[in-house]
Amino acid sequence: MPIPTLTQSVVITLIQCLLVVIFVFVVVPLTVFAERKVLGHIQQRLGSTRVASGHIGVTGWMNRGMWKWGRIPILSYWRGIPGLVADVLKLILKEDIIPAKADKFVFFIAPAISMVSAVVVFAAISFVPGTFFTFPTWFPYLGGLPVSGGIADINVGLLWILGVASVGVYGIVLAGWASNSKYPLLGGLRSAAQMVSYEVPLAMSLLAPVVLTGSLNFGDMSARMATGLPAWGLAPQILGFLIYLTCGFAETNRLPFDMPEAENELVAGFHTEYSGMKFGFFYLAEYINMTVVSALAAGFFLGGPWLLPFGLQGLLNPYLPSLLSWFGQPHAIFFVAKIIFLLFTYIWVRGTIPRYRYDQVMSVAWKYLIPMALFNLLLAALVRCFAV
Amino acid sequence: MEHLLETIGRNLFAIFGVMALGSAAFMVASRSAVHSVLGFLFTMLCIAGCFLSLEAEFIGMAQILVYAGGIVVLFLFVVMLVEMSKAKEKEVFQLQSRYAIVAVLTVAAAFVGLFRKVIFGSASPDALVLRPELARGLNVAQQNAQAVSRGLFADYLLPFEILSVVLLVALVGAVVLAKKERV
Repeated sequence: MPIPTLTQSVVITLIQCLLVVIFVFVVVPLTVFAERKVLGHIQQRLGSTRVASGHIGVTGWMNRGMWKWGRIPILSYWRGIPGLVADVLKLILKEDIIPAKADKFVFFIAPAISMVSAVVVFAAISFVPGTFFTFPTWFPYLGGLPVSGGIADINVGLLWILGVASVGVYGIVLAGWASNSKYPLLGGLRSAAQMVSYEVPLAMSLLAPVVLTGSLNFGDMSARMATGLPAWGLAPQILGFLIYLTCGFAETNRLPFDMPEAENELVAGFHTEYSGMKFGFFYLAEYINMTVVSALAAGFFLGGPWLLPFGLQGLLNPYLPSLLSWFGQPHAIFFVAKIIFLLFTYIWVRGTIPRYRYDQVMSVAWKYLIPMALFNLLLAALVRCFAV
Repeated sequence: MEHLLETIGRNLFAIFGVMALGSAAFMVASRSAVHSVLGFLFTMLCIAGCFLSLEAEFIGMAQILVYAGGIVVLFLFVVMLVEMSKAKEKEVFQLQSRYAIVAVLTVAAAFVGLFRKVIFGSASPDALVLRPELARGLNVAQQNAQAVSRGLFADYLLPFEILSVVLLVALVGAVVLAKKERV
């Protein structure tokens, strides 16, 4: 295997960054689209499941044919696309208003902080252990060089993820302050309190995998969690997964915990005064954060690039017939499938569970989640002490 | 290209250091307290970059996690909530200028001495260790995090625990002070 020069490795890293950005910007619009459609079905809001570009074109012709045939059209899965397109166009084309009394500099930089801290987390996430693909030898300049499955699989990856994600609070708090208006300020303060409190059980629930695997490296941890744990490891994994997912919902300000933008109390919370693409950045950052939380949950608890969740892969691998050995190997596709399933869970929960009151949000974090996370940590330590 | 990248790689510490100094100057010079907090945040991130360029990845990440993620958020909270009008703000800051000059001069003298020793003094061949017989664990460790945890939880466990007791006392004290009127 050839050793890349410094320039080549920088080029490879840039290619990896490009791949991650493409992944993010494919997943995020699809999540928005899926959110409209799934919520449309759950809450019987018909618009987003019906609107289509009329009965013209090839799809219209095929759909009409299907209806006449007495079947639900295949392409109706894509109904609602015009709504999504219109939304994106609206974000890009709308006038960008800065309130007269706003603090211009902070108002400008807050969406950027949100967005950057959401995207940068992906640096430490490894999608597949080892090599993702190798450039073919005819490829100019990079022929024969391997591209690893993560941008930077550093050995303090978990700390990087937690640290950078915690910088995301600033985006929301500063946006609320800079708008110089009541509702955004209240939304920003609420979100600061909420995110700072939920960071505690979130980090604690991620400590259980650290204790179980004895590593801080994302790739190592997901590999050991998926394949290297005894049967006793199931209990702390499942409990930890539930705690982590709850805290993840709160960290991304999604519906049961969407205090910062509770629309019937605070208009739109911290981004009330934002419009155009600045609002779009907050919107994007929220969905990228959802993807990040899903990726972490998938990587640490659901087995990452291995097929089975909760460490079952390691338990069942010896019994897997050799015919099915493809399922015993790690693949990036499994990882992405789990991320997509968790994103669906986000939408599902949003459609089902009503919003908490503010004091309830705080008591859930401090009175229930933190003790449960501590108990889970104790379980993990016992497993580590006696079974590993 | 190769040469340029190598030069950048060798001088990463200097680049992050200059950025940290620049944002620290912004923090001191800016009029608005929230802008100062932003400058402080950026300084902390740059210092984390400095640690990373010295291959101290654990302490760099701890810097981001503790300072950028925790302490500066509290600063921002306080600055946002204690909304001082311009005149009052000025008064408070001008009251402190005399003490501030004394403090700055003292710290500057200390740092000049330190820099003189670091830059012109002779370098020690070995890392500075308080008790060499305990340093074996640090040398065995393959990672930063391992080395730090060996130091904290094996070699220097007692001082570490005493520190945590001190922190606990401070915590209890803060609760007592905050709840004074209800008791």
